[in-house]
Amino acid sequence: MPRPLWKGTVSFGLVSVPVELWSAIRDQTIRFREVHVTDGSPVRHVKYCAAEGKPVDPSEVGRAYEVEKGKLIRITDEELEDLEPEKTQTIEIESFVPREEVDPIRFDHPYYMVPGNDSVGTLRAYKLLVEAMTEGDLLALGTFVMRSREYLAAIRVRDGALALSTMHFPAEIRPPDAVPGPEEQADAEAVKDAVAIVEELSTDWEPDSYQDQYRARLKKVIDSKRKGKKVKAPTAKEEKPTAAPDLMAALKETLANSKRRRRKPRDLTLLSKDQLYELASERGLKGRSSMTKQQLIKALKK
Amino acid sequence: MAPRSIWNGTLSFGLVRVPIKLFSAIEPKGIGFREVHVKDDSPLQHRRICKADGNEVERDEIAKGYEVSDGEFLLLDPEEIKAAGGDRGKTIEIEEFVDVTDIDPFMFNKTYYMGVRDHAEPYAVVAEALLQSGKAGIGRFTFHNREYLVAVRAHEGRLALHTLRFADEIVAGEDFELVAKKGKAPTNKEVGMARKLISGLTEEFDPGEFQDEYRAAVMDLIERKAEGKKAPKKRRKKAKKTDDLSDALEKSLAAQGT
Repeated sequence: MPRPLWKGTVSFGLVSVPVELWSAIRDQTIRFREVHVTDGSPVRHVKYCAAEGKPVDPSEVGRAYEVEKGKLIRITDEELEDLEPEKTQTIEIESFVPREEVDPIRFDHPYYMVPGNDSVGTLRAYKLLVEAMTEGDLLALGTFVMRSREYLAAIRVRDGALALSTMHFPAEIRPPDAVPGPEEQADAEAVKDAVAIVEELSTDWEPDSYQDQYRARLKKVIDSKRKGKKVKAPTAKEEKPTAAPDLMAALKETLANSKRRRRKPRDLTLLSKDQLYELASERGLKGRSSMTKQQLIKALKK
Repeated sequence: MAPRSIWNGTLSFGLVRVPIKLFSAIEPKGIGFREVHVKDDSPLQHRRICKADGNEVERDEIAKGYEVSDGEFLLLDPEEIKAAGGDRGKTIEIEEFVDVTDIDPFMFNKTYYMGVRDHAEPYAVVAEALLQSGKAGIGRFTFHNREYLVAVRAHEGRLALHTLRFADEIVAGEDFELVAKKGKAPTNKEVGMARKLISGLTEEFDPGEFQDEYRAAVMDLIERKAEGKKAPKKRRKKAKKTDDLSDALEKSLAAQGT
């Protein structure tokens, strides 16, 4: 059963609302277990005390900081909580900022903040926050402590709920000029062509149209192995030599091609039957409601 | 100090090829605690134990297993897992461009910076074109045998690469069924007061304002304890609580002086 990762209150002026934080990630990763090859049995991870020579129960695990080699300072959970007692229980909204001023580099983990209980007062105050924040593309900023770490949080409304993104602290973000950049200004004519290509290949952002091909292929690998087939890794395409690229020629040709071509056809085999059916409806394909997945793919390829 | 690159390759769209190096953009500043046994303060080791025979297992005797049914594992070798990574090789292929501001904050996962490799010219042209158009290039990228959906955009004179989450990895806000929950809606007057409070608190974003104070406090606690001093204790403030929403809003507005 999933559980809230944090419980506390969010406060805004003198209004405070009991809330819970839930992760907004639905894990779709294909999970592997570590398996002992000699007997096919799964492997367990244990914490082992070398001094006592035996495994340690999770309840007997503490944390310590190594101030110098061999010198460990034990820190208890209570000591950590006492450092900032308010922040472990409250997210205080300090300010609101326009969303476009916050660079996406800052965003870390997504959460939803939901009412902490079903009392009339809590739900009313929660609804007030949602209502008041729906207008204007603003992020509410505040800090709080969760699992003995402080987080900077950005709160906004998403699908009628309060959404919270933890953000990296400025000190954690490397300055971009630490990596090698171009020293000279780009040629204006080349930039003009590149902008034209970008505009030509622009489309609306539709997150649903991107499928995790890695996940799909991994499923295929697992399926064919179960059927006893051998699976070989494809040989990676060789990188084309970049010795003396004629940038202007490449830009001109790409621009001409992108004007000519329509969007690349998608790999239909990675779509679900519902998605294929939707595509078929868009194109008005006859007899689509009685088609199998394979028939839909075939008809759409025409 | 120049950071070390983690990947060398080529960003491509159409026939345009930009040789790049990849660097991570984030340096986590967590505190590296060690796990110890509370009874004797000795550091703990992590061991892998075979569930069947109870013995410690060496790393070279471990394979990745996919559980096909309860307790039955299909073993995959690295070559087979590599097959799922695709044949993209060392190329980040941009398929199309979208407005950066259309991408929901929940979609962004990890960020990397791209640095110039060998030829600066194509890099400069692409960075400038993305800056002028406000667009991000959407493409795919294989890293450590795993394929990622990525957005490439201009950022402070460099190209930044974000790995993106897939739409089906994000929980929808509707799933919490908040609308169905009962409870009297706030009045228009209350919403009006809350908006007034928000506009009074709205300012320009100044990232420098925010520091990880807690981390500093933890490091201070460690130092004090290392010197044999007592841990400092902060007193809990009693929350100023009021159950009357209108009253709380009025008092907040009065305190704000608007």
